[in-house]
Amino acid sequence: MSATDLPDDDRALAGEYVLGLLAPDEARAFAARLADDPALAAEVARWQEDFAPLAGEAAPVMPPARVWRATSARLFGARRRGWLTWGLPLAAAALAIALMLAPDLFSRGPTAPVDPAFRAEIAAEDGSLALAAAYDADTGALYLERRGGSPAPGRAHELWLISGDALPVSLGVLPTDRTALSLTLDPELRRDLEGATLAVSDEPLGGSPTGLPTGAVLAAGTLTPA
Amino acid sequence: MATRDNIEDWLARTAQGDRAAFKLLYRDTSAKLFGLCLRILNDRAEAEDALQEVFVKVWHGAGSYRANGLSPMTWLIAVARNHAIDRLRRRQAAAGGMDEAAEIADARPGPEAQVMARAEAGRVVACLDELEGARAEAVRGAYLDGETYADLAERFSVPFNTMRTWLRRSLIKLRECLER
Repeated sequence: MSATDLPDDDRALAGEYVLGLLAPDEARAFAARLADDPALAAEVARWQEDFAPLAGEAAPVMPPARVWRATSARLFGARRRGWLTWGLPLAAAALAIALMLAPDLFSRGPTAPVDPAFRAEIAAEDGSLALAAAYDADTGALYLERRGGSPAPGRAHELWLISGDALPVSLGVLPTDRTALSLTLDPELRRDLEGATLAVSDEPLGGSPTGLPTGAVLAAGTLTPA
Repeated sequence: MATRDNIEDWLARTAQGDRAAFKLLYRDTSAKLFGLCLRILNDRAEAEDALQEVFVKVWHGAGSYRANGLSPMTWLIAVARNHAIDRLRRRQAAAGGMDEAAEIADARPGPEAQVMARAEAGRVVACLDELEGARAEAVRGAYLDGETYADLAERFSVPFNTMRTWLRRSLIKLRECLER
């Protein structure tokens, strides 16, 4: 007997309950006792603690990325349907986000984050356009620095975020009158930045009229942990 | 490797609806929980579904885990294991048989993997080692493979009631050893 003064029968029963060995009716009857019997409930917790290290005998296996995608889509809404099933509502939402972010594009004197969570080099293959990006997870700020290249006359460069297999979301048109800017990502967009793509497309002045890229993708880079 | 404090903090923040904390929790615990689901279910697609369900439960239940008096990792393991075993039982009920026993047996790690795992597994393993080999195997089979008394009776070729008597005695011995 132990300090808890539970009879051996109950201690074994609690162990069987934790192991999942009780028949369904026995398990139900046992569970019903737990609410009114703290010593018995404590015994169940003790078995759970004692057995938990055995789980270490099952080798850890990295689950495929689709499990996280499915889980977060289920809990936080489907942002990850395929390209073709996304309709106008999404484009409208993307446009709304772009408009919401637009003022940030013109904030003055941004400085690069001290301790960015992610960085990306957004570069054209032929070197005609290059930007560096750094994301500060604490503030949600995405800092961008143009290192080379400018839009063709009468055209604009628009920045896009593409997470996983979701549709591109516009982060706004890149200003041409300064080299550094900082924009605050909508909280919805902050969740899935690791491995996400930042891309710049060629668009009419003022940006894509559809909320999705309409012109050529000029440069792209992947956000990787800094 | 996350510490107990990390996991506790992430669970507390998850309970407040903090998705970033939830993602960190997933990042650092999903491999362990997926390994456990895979071990119990021995089917990759089903283990993936199970893991998804487990984290949905974690998201909704993160606020209440303390009520059970468990440490955070124990709670996560219990959620994953219980869910995987529920699925296993439903599958067995649907199949109406014990066809799975042989398949499950194949999923056990080789002796080498077991020795390595033992180095980390602490007191319960030392106490299981004090039991007679087959009895310790029966407890492991129930915990890690979700084996039922019927499965175990068949595996060890003893009548159902004998199996139950064995295992209950083993549990009482284990408890005595764990409290020493």
